[in-house]
Amino acid sequence: MKKIRKFAPALIVAAPFVILMSIFLIWPTLTTIGKAFIHEDEFSFFNMARAMSGTYRDSFITTAQLSLITSLIGGGIGLLMAILLRSLPVESKSRTLADSWSAVASQLGGLPLAFAFIALLGTQGILTKVLGAFGIDLVELGFSLTGLAGWALVYLYFQIPLMFLIMTPAVSALRASWFESATSMGANAWQFWRSVGIPILLPTIVTGFVLLFVNSFSAYATAYALSTGAGQLIPLQIRFILQGNVITGEDELGFAIVTWALLLLALSLVAVTLLQRRVSRWTEQ
Amino acid sequence: MISVGKLARTGFWILLIGYFLLPMLAMARFAFQTIPTFLLTTENVFQGWGFGSLTVAFQDAGVIKSTILSLQLCATTIALTFFVLVPLTTYVEVSAPKLKPWLTGATVATWLVPPVALVVGVAATFRQVIPSFLTSPFTLTFFYSLWMLPFTYRAIDGQLRLIGAKNLFEAAQSVGCGPITFFFKVILPNLKSSLYISASLIFAAVLGEFTFASLLLKQTMPVYLWSFQSSQARAGFALALLVMVATALILGFAVARMRKRGLNFSATGI
Amino acid sequence: MTDVQFKNITKHYGAEVALSNFSLSINSGELVSILGPSGCGKTTALRILAGFIQPTGGALLVGGQEILDLPAAKRGYGMVFQSYSLFPNMTTSENIEFPLKLRKIDAAARAKRVNELLDLINMAEHAQKFPHQLSGGQQQRIALARAVALEPPILLLDEPLSALDATVRDQLRDEIRSLQKRLGITTVFVTHDQQEAMAISDRVAVMRSGQVEQLGSPRELYQNPKNSFVAGFVGISNQIKSTKIGDAWKVLGSSVSGPAGFNTGVAFIRPEDIKITPSPTGIAVIEEISFLGSFVRVFMSVDGNRVIADLQISEAEKLNTGQQVELTIRDANPLIESI
Repeated sequence: MKKIRKFAPALIVAAPFVILMSIFLIWPTLTTIGKAFIHEDEFSFFNMARAMSGTYRDSFITTAQLSLITSLIGGGIGLLMAILLRSLPVESKSRTLADSWSAVASQLGGLPLAFAFIALLGTQGILTKVLGAFGIDLVELGFSLTGLAGWALVYLYFQIPLMFLIMTPAVSALRASWFESATSMGANAWQFWRSVGIPILLPTIVTGFVLLFVNSFSAYATAYALSTGAGQLIPLQIRFILQGNVITGEDELGFAIVTWALLLLALSLVAVTLLQRRVSRWTEQ
Repeated sequence: MISVGKLARTGFWILLIGYFLLPMLAMARFAFQTIPTFLLTTENVFQGWGFGSLTVAFQDAGVIKSTILSLQLCATTIALTFFVLVPLTTYVEVSAPKLKPWLTGATVATWLVPPVALVVGVAATFRQVIPSFLTSPFTLTFFYSLWMLPFTYRAIDGQLRLIGAKNLFEAAQSVGCGPITFFFKVILPNLKSSLYISASLIFAAVLGEFTFASLLLKQTMPVYLWSFQSSQARAGFALALLVMVATALILGFAVARMRKRGLNFSATGI
Repeated sequence: MTDVQFKNITKHYGAEVALSNFSLSINSGELVSILGPSGCGKTTALRILAGFIQPTGGALLVGGQEILDLPAAKRGYGMVFQSYSLFPNMTTSENIEFPLKLRKIDAAARAKRVNELLDLINMAEHAQKFPHQLSGGQQQRIALARAVALEPPILLLDEPLSALDATVRDQLRDEIRSLQKRLGITTVFVTHDQQEAMAISDRVAVMRSGQVEQLGSPRELYQNPKNSFVAGFVGISNQIKSTKIGDAWKVLGSSVSGPAGFNTGVAFIRPEDIKITPSPTGIAVIEEISFLGSFVRVFMSVDGNRVIADLQISEAEKLNTGQQVELTIRDANPLIESI
């Protein structure tokens, strides 16, 4: 009895959280995963296999390609931004502006972003028209907002700020004394970054790439707004199945696709956690 | 003599700022200039500007109704998230530090399941068991709240550590202050910054959230906007732009205010 | 010859003045400490020498050459920082090797030099360890070795011991001094700890508010402080009111010589310069006696003011609290400032 008394406040305080998580996250997720492995009332890999074949496999590959491209390019640019801005003092207006902007822009996505790019580079886009006046025909060049290059361009809009947000704390943690020591030994900026700066930042950089990859993979609203209905990206594929399902077997496929996606995300998260441990070892002295 | 490095850097910033500004400008142009793109020439480029499209948007009944719903959802989500997280985070920080990694891990875990995947889960469970539960649009509150857990947790936990909540609790105890009084009279007043920024972030996120609402067939503002813009493109774009600017201002202001207090906000939730 | 000359260096940050007409001459091979409270400008002066800060005015000559136009990376001075500056992603030997690599010294020569330096600081067995695996004192030793790896003409140390534990601090302090002497390298040592400065320096520059208050050997500064700030900052002093009678100044009953021009002043008397003799007519009363290991500190009251005297243990044997004592001043020419 005494033990319950002791834990009572903890239980009361934790209850809403636990209830919310259990009902609205754990139960649906576990059920989905469970059902993915059931075909015709028995345990089977049928759905999982089917979810990785044919057009579905292509979707996985396309989505992975898009995520890879945007995470590498977005990651690189975001990193560069963080490094270039690091020399500014924390209270300066430019820094505050950059931080505020990146917090906002990383959350941006979905419809407004898609609208904006359609207004810019769509078939009736203003930039399309301006380029046309200079003799550059985008359609002829094969560029389209519904193609891989177009999606990548749009996704970068929130990928870059996300990377900036991830890298800024790590870049700020680089001690001035490291840079100054290197300088007093005669190193120039490039030598410093190559030998000291980047190696120290590497775990965080890789974390950033992974997070960007995951972020891109999960992006639904943006994909939805830019697509022409054909579900070339995984999130759209899922929706397609979800909304069209009445036939048994189709929703099982949906569960399987989701399970594959979850597996991918779980692996990424494990990778991130391991990398974070490495980071703290070096910067926490 | 300008060095190559400086030139490259300036070029980089110009390209970058251009990349981020142009789409917004294009959107504004489309929304607020009545001349369609293919009719634009260098002569009439400064004609036909006006905010007429916004008036059209605001007069649409669907826009008003869905916006009200979205705003209501903002309020309910903020309320639920605070109710679920603030006491728990305070408790763990002050009395049960050993549970910290578990709580942190749990909040990050919500991020593991993307909205689209979660909706599938919902279809697999709720639809089968209690379909009536999903009819009210306010069920979105639970999912939104889950989605915002990592960010809110980080902000609140960060500020609790900054104010030294643990020490404050010990000091409070030594003068005979009970935990509930301590929570309401000591902790909450000092959490203003993190609560403010969490509310701003939740507000911005919920106002723009599309995935959950669309897949669960709720007519929130973004969902309505999608169908609205197919018939009223200009008005739809104008409204989207307005919402974006408003949320950007609110959020940007909140972040700037937090940095003044020395709180480093992690919008990544990681 | 690497001597250093600061000539009227000034540094302004907007309206704030960090250094004002700062002048200091350091001889080749000398270890000079810049000593002062935080905010006095000592670190600013050091960083100007290192090249990380540009002064607002003045000249800076090293070996007779003006160096202010030379960027930091080209100056080639060794520097050790207060907070550990070792590169965390490199081992001890890689850290020490880094400056050698920058100068494109070949691998064999590098290895040889690294081993030399490791032996010099007695850290050979830690060659493959990473900084986070080493203690603060060990890290600073390596930072030191790395700083002298290229045999720089000047060594700069910015409060290198401030972050260390007391026992490690003393040990490392002496090691720095012996290394400096062995290499004969001109060294500038910045610190706020007067004991450190006094223990290892050839000369000490005491700074306050952007200027040098006094420059001299540790002994000079201690025995002949120029003003109350120096007297108070370097070692402890009693501040005793004294009046001029005739040509001599009277301090606690003793006659000493002092400046002309005023008749009432405050004399700065070191605790070890006060001799105590028990006497029923004495002006002082003993309040407390503290045994501090190698000497005894006696706290007394004279006319309601506190006076401190430091005695040898043998001298203090007959003393008790509550005793009335007579005081004699052993310093014939103390610092006296007007009130």
